[in-house]
Amino acid sequence: MNPLVTAFKKGFERSGIKPSRISMPSDVLFEPEVVKDLGVDYFHVTRGRAIAFGTGLKLANPALRVVAVAGDLMTIGGNHFVHGGRRNMEVLVICINNYVYRKIAGKTAPLVTVKFSPYSTFEEPFNIPHLGNSCGAIYTARWTALHIEELAESIAHGLTKRGLAVIEVLVPGPDYYNGIGTWRDELVKFYHENSEKRDGEMPRNVGITGESKIIVGEFTDKEMPPFIDTYNKQLSAVLKDKFTPYGQTNGGQNG
Amino acid sequence: MNANPRDVLSGTHYIDGDVASGFGALAAGCKFIAGYPITPSTEAAEAFARVAYKGNAMFIQMEDELASVSAVVGAVWSGVKSMTITSGPGYSLMMETFGFAAMLETPMVLLNIQRGGPSTGVPTKTGQADIMQSRWGSHGDYEIIAFAPESPQELFDYTVKAFNLAERYRCPVMIMSDECVGHMTEKVVIPAADRIEIEPRRFFKGQPGQYSPFKPDDDLVPPMAKAGDGYNLYISGRAHNDQGMPYTNEEFKLRCIRRLVDKIKKNKEKIIELREENTKDAEVVVVAYGISSRVAVRGIELAREKGIKVGQLRLVTIWPFPDERIAELSQTAKAFVVPEINYGQIAFEVDRCAHGRSNVVLVPHGGAGVHNPDDICDAIEYAVKHKEPLEGVHEYKTRLERKVFEEKMRIAE
Amino acid sequence: MEAVKTTAAHEIHPMENVLRMDRIPHIWCPGCGIGIAVTAFAAALEKANIDLNKVAIVSGIGCTGRVAGYVKLDSFHTTHGRAIAFATGIKVASPDMKVVVFSGDGDLIAIGGNHFIHAARRNIDMLVVCVNNFIYAMTGGQVAPTTPLAAYATTCPFGCVEPPFNIPYLADSSGAVYVARWTALHVRRLTNSFVEALNKKGLSVVEVISPCAQYYSRINRLGDGLDMMRFYHDNSEIRHGEDTKNLDIGFQQKIIMGKFVDRERPSYTDRYQDWLKQRKVGM
Repeated sequence: MNPLVTAFKKGFERSGIKPSRISMPSDVLFEPEVVKDLGVDYFHVTRGRAIAFGTGLKLANPALRVVAVAGDLMTIGGNHFVHGGRRNMEVLVICINNYVYRKIAGKTAPLVTVKFSPYSTFEEPFNIPHLGNSCGAIYTARWTALHIEELAESIAHGLTKRGLAVIEVLVPGPDYYNGIGTWRDELVKFYHENSEKRDGEMPRNVGITGESKIIVGEFTDKEMPPFIDTYNKQLSAVLKDKFTPYGQTNGGQNG
Repeated sequence: MNANPRDVLSGTHYIDGDVASGFGALAAGCKFIAGYPITPSTEAAEAFARVAYKGNAMFIQMEDELASVSAVVGAVWSGVKSMTITSGPGYSLMMETFGFAAMLETPMVLLNIQRGGPSTGVPTKTGQADIMQSRWGSHGDYEIIAFAPESPQELFDYTVKAFNLAERYRCPVMIMSDECVGHMTEKVVIPAADRIEIEPRRFFKGQPGQYSPFKPDDDLVPPMAKAGDGYNLYISGRAHNDQGMPYTNEEFKLRCIRRLVDKIKKNKEKIIELREENTKDAEVVVVAYGISSRVAVRGIELAREKGIKVGQLRLVTIWPFPDERIAELSQTAKAFVVPEINYGQIAFEVDRCAHGRSNVVLVPHGGAGVHNPDDICDAIEYAVKHKEPLEGVHEYKTRLERKVFEEKMRIAE
Repeated sequence: MEAVKTTAAHEIHPMENVLRMDRIPHIWCPGCGIGIAVTAFAAALEKANIDLNKVAIVSGIGCTGRVAGYVKLDSFHTTHGRAIAFATGIKVASPDMKVVVFSGDGDLIAIGGNHFIHAARRNIDMLVVCVNNFIYAMTGGQVAPTTPLAAYATTCPFGCVEPPFNIPYLADSSGAVYVARWTALHVRRLTNSFVEALNKKGLSVVEVISPCAQYYSRINRLGDGLDMMRFYHDNSEIRHGEDTKNLDIGFQQKIIMGKFVDRERPSYTDRYQDWLKQRKVGM
């Protein structure tokens, strides 16, 4: 997890937003020292509900910037992801995707990994940037645990997006960080050799299959009205003077 | 402090219980409701959606109950009062996050308009079979506060009160109403804002760096902070110490859970609310809650006409349960009669507290309707006449049960 | 007045072998399109010549969720949103059964959204019929994830503030192999789509745009069921093979219908069998 934490820290710093303004609902466990170092408000929520929790945080106090870190984005949390995208809720979703590549008889193949991963050898995994994009996410990107600099840039940019932004980060499984020697070198080499940076690629084409390279990069980056703006616009149109626009619509961007 | 006038729709209204609860939430200062439609509670969400803009509050219909309750917990940690509204199936879905809220000592309100169950059950008719679930629904040890309003007026009043108690004890509070009361249209008087007491959140007033999210004050309740104020919160559902840091150490876990439980247990006297009538020298005490207590009034009338000395103990708060009062009453009363729209939930609690000193007669009902007052009267008569001690809770056979199971009548569609 | 006694032999309705006649009349309102979807489905079952004993129909909660109760197949009226999960269990345990999920937009896409996208990803071999009436009708007219922006519903009394889902796009991007949309007006085309989908291996999604005279069109002052049908007649366009991302439905805007996706992908059961064979386990 350590390189990721560095990426988070750099990303938060570069975004120009004060860490005290950033709330991080997460179903990934961060140790207290890490949270102290990052300086954000951390909520270790129930599995899969980081985005739903983040919706509540954001709507109750629109001045907050919400970063939902999801270890379980698509299994339990799949519904919240697609609906969050549809509403264009202002939440930056960072999906820590740790399905592990491993060599089987010379051929690489996606393999069943950590307990709650939706992927197994006879199921195709989700193409998260494509699904996110089709549900309305305005910023989609993918990086691996190697691309720490780019990840930090993505996080900085994603934090300023006014809508649902999703960054998928491929990380090795827990064994990597427990320092099981051969895997570490293998995986680092694997990511280095098998990932290809293609900014602006169509999300439809970035599915992770066993056959082609892992495509990383920033895929889509557009602007759409966030939920609170649509809410204010609709209610102002109908209620006119009786309605006070909800929240600060440009909250958080200036730290 | 008093309610904000813009939140209060003062006046005399003729509305149903659900709507009254929605208005009550607004009056209490609730700024965020996330809900999902489920009969028979939907009207509460719709009412709040209609009036939310007046209090600069927001209603959002989430994609399911799981998201609704998670969003509510998030909103509370963002600093606002928040509530969610559901019924049976949704209630079951919300249990995991409810336990999460209890562990994090999150002040929120959960309105459950009970319906016929289990599962899809009878969505449009009443039931009272979620009472034990409200107490033990989520895994692990925690204590809760639950109200059982019996009228639309009470749904308004006790929604406001639920928010107040949630803030005072920093815990989630349930309002266990039922479809009959929720869909009943009655006069509801909403007083002026300066006559409505609301309890503000006890925010921590010190410097960042000095804050411990779970360090209690003298009354065992910790002050709260909110996200975005620089407190660098570490909030996790794991067993934690005062700073919120997870510990697997036995001693810390004990301290964490013990306080969660004691917080309510030790403040029981201040939380429990009962309405008693003629219980002092009663031979039989009818213990009821929600709509059953209203039906019981007629049953008691009929019994009194037959000369029986009957009293009524109405549970306004169901949890924490009034153990001491029931134990006290069991010294003088011969028997307790418990009418409830289930096959025995509170009856067993009453039996536990009576501890063999009084008989306990349950008047059950399978749901999708309310009791026949004649049954309650007959059960009271039976309780008075039956001198020998009864083993456990005795289930009184109601007319409906006899009709359905014994007289072998064909049930029309 | 005495009822007129008929001397003719008991008249048999053409759909009697597929309907539970003791449950008829059904509960759907005048002006509702769900009945039409059921008729088309019954006709499709006949046309596709499928053994009715081998069909399981699973519904969720809602107006469309009542379909399972009126159809004479192995019917399951399950909990809200979980129809696809139940159906997955039936299919995996009995791969020979033809499994059909017949439910509404709220049940399948709101609370059931997760199951929907996962079934499409796994390509479970079943037909999902989603009757879309843009509202939560059974519970009294609340907003649905398909309600167009600015349309009214009881939980958005000042107009809907959330952009709706485009069901074909969601199904397509999750991996469904057959995606089609028709309205309740276009019964014959709908029947043909059902036939194609029933014969297709993998997850097929057929969306049926239906009027809701009692809630959606009443709250939004769009007239009754017949007015909605007239609207579909004048404002729908067939565009087979259209890119699913262009299929959004705005409030009283044009509805694009047709067969959008028809591709091949190995189904879940096929892959599972292969995987088992690879491990040399008999099945």
